[in-house]
Amino acid sequence: MAVDTPVTAPAISEIGRTTRRQRGRRDTGAKGVAVLTGKIAAGALLVLLALFPLAWMVIAGFKSRTEVVATPFQFFPEVWRVENYQQILADPEFVRSMSVTFGGAILFTLLSLTVNSLGAYAFARLEFAFKNVLWVYVITTMFIPGMAILLTSFVVVTRLRMLDTIAVLVIPGAASAAHLFFMRQYYLNVPMALEEAATLDGASKWGIYRHIFLPMSKPVFVVVGMTSFLAFWNSYVWPIMTITSRDLYQIQQFLATFRSERAAELGMLMAGSTLAALPVMILFLVFQRHIIGGIKIAGLK
Amino acid sequence: MTQTVQAEPTTLGTAAARRRGRPSRKQPRARTGMNARSNTMAYLMLAPVVILLTIFVVWPVVYAVYLSFYNWSFYTDPIPVGWRNYMNVLGDRTFIESVGRGLLFAVMVVPVQLVIAFLFASLVRTVSGRVATLLKVSIYIPTIVSGVIASIIFVLIYNYQGGILNAFVGLFGVEKQAWLGNVSTALPALAVPAIWLGLGICSLIMLAGMVDIPATYYEAADLDGANWFQKTFFVTIPLMKNIFLFLLITGFTAAVQQFELPLVMTDGGPLERTLLPNLYIFQHFRNDTYVGYSIAAAILLMVVLGSISAVIFRVLNSEKAVDG
Repeated sequence: MAVDTPVTAPAISEIGRTTRRQRGRRDTGAKGVAVLTGKIAAGALLVLLALFPLAWMVIAGFKSRTEVVATPFQFFPEVWRVENYQQILADPEFVRSMSVTFGGAILFTLLSLTVNSLGAYAFARLEFAFKNVLWVYVITTMFIPGMAILLTSFVVVTRLRMLDTIAVLVIPGAASAAHLFFMRQYYLNVPMALEEAATLDGASKWGIYRHIFLPMSKPVFVVVGMTSFLAFWNSYVWPIMTITSRDLYQIQQFLATFRSERAAELGMLMAGSTLAALPVMILFLVFQRHIIGGIKIAGLK
Repeated sequence: MTQTVQAEPTTLGTAAARRRGRPSRKQPRARTGMNARSNTMAYLMLAPVVILLTIFVVWPVVYAVYLSFYNWSFYTDPIPVGWRNYMNVLGDRTFIESVGRGLLFAVMVVPVQLVIAFLFASLVRTVSGRVATLLKVSIYIPTIVSGVIASIIFVLIYNYQGGILNAFVGLFGVEKQAWLGNVSTALPALAVPAIWLGLGICSLIMLAGMVDIPATYYEAADLDGANWFQKTFFVTIPLMKNIFLFLLITGFTAAVQQFELPLVMTDGGPLERTLLPNLYIFQHFRNDTYVGYSIAAAILLMVVLGSISAVIFRVLNSEKAVDG
């Protein structure tokens, strides 16, 4: 149920591009060398600080259970063991959690893309009665902090008998004013000419959405879809409130439970955390390239 | 705002006529028919999102406000109690202290995040494409990590026995610390993963704002012989005021509301030193079957955060922003 703003996520590789003019002005000589060294040091430090905890997690997964917190501290294991990774992958509960969460995340992402893009298209391109009223109604929901509705949302899903089903994870957070807003901004910039031509050819509003807007939505779908998938994959509080049967345990829930129930198995815990972080890491790195293609998104802000 | 083609034209002729704005006798009747059809299609498309938002966002808010004035548990009829829930919350020292702690936590997290993000952006805008991409991807990666995994990693980093932080401070002759168990270090120890998780978004927004500043401003400064510090303080920072404001407010509200990290790492301990407001509300909700109190606390927190954000906005936005 986390309210997130995808507006901030897009086109990482696009922002911060230096223009040729800026880049052309390089200092030369001793001062230039000092500046360059400083930059390399600063850059390396930043990368190190950002990635060190994760690197440590991956490496600790290769350590034996006592080695993870052995004194004196050693960064690398004496012997690189793959047992932790093998054991956690052989744990049926881990595998089930990963699969259930993955399936749920796919459903959630598809539902989120469908309902939000339909709404976004209607607000961007259709005229209808009470449009402004509905717009204000939808957008207002963007400013409600999660905690204010978390408790009563729980009451609502209890009343709807949704507790302990996959539906309680997938449905409540799917509609998102932030995502709708982001997609609407994108649709507003689609040229009218295409639509007019299709209209002359007798296309209906639905046909225009289906055959013109949907195919053009790829860049914006990548960003919104990635945000939705990530929100679902990483959510912890909502699952611990609504899911009690182990069959439906979400991956974050599994990790937290594993940590308290099998506290001694630190190597396995780190291996499990690594594997649990892997799908979203891969998605991010893959879509990084797609996002490079979606230059326009950055320009929409 | 939006300019749209009204609906499907019945014939080419009327469509062309309409586009040229030539009035036609048939138009009024045709238009109402089309509008009705357009309305139906629009409402069909809006229905899913509006219905879902109504059930899972709007109704819970309305319901929360309603229940905050009642004494109610799942198995009883609600009994109206007026403002008593709110009075109880305001008279609860644990809650008031948790809000103060949340503010302190925000003070630890947000300035550090802003400074690092600013330095990051300053660095990235001066390097070439590939290096810039590498830096941007690296700094963004922690953002993708879940709160639970971050908690697991940092609990082990802080571990008394064999934790990497103790090994590191040991190099400087500092004694081992129970970072999360010590009342004076627990909250700062929680702030570090919060900074780590939020840094990516913050940096990239900062960068986006920074590259929007026209290069001509810097060229003018160069001609006047300005050094890096002068350019930073007299060109970059004044022009990025709105970005700072945005990051300050969003970072502040996010930090005060942080609750996964204390939930997994410390469960509010030691001696409630990491009991942030949302965690307190959550724990209260789980332990007290009468939910009115917890809901009133959540609503009060929302009001407090909204007011403080408004004050930050007012104060910082009082001087007119420089046009970019």
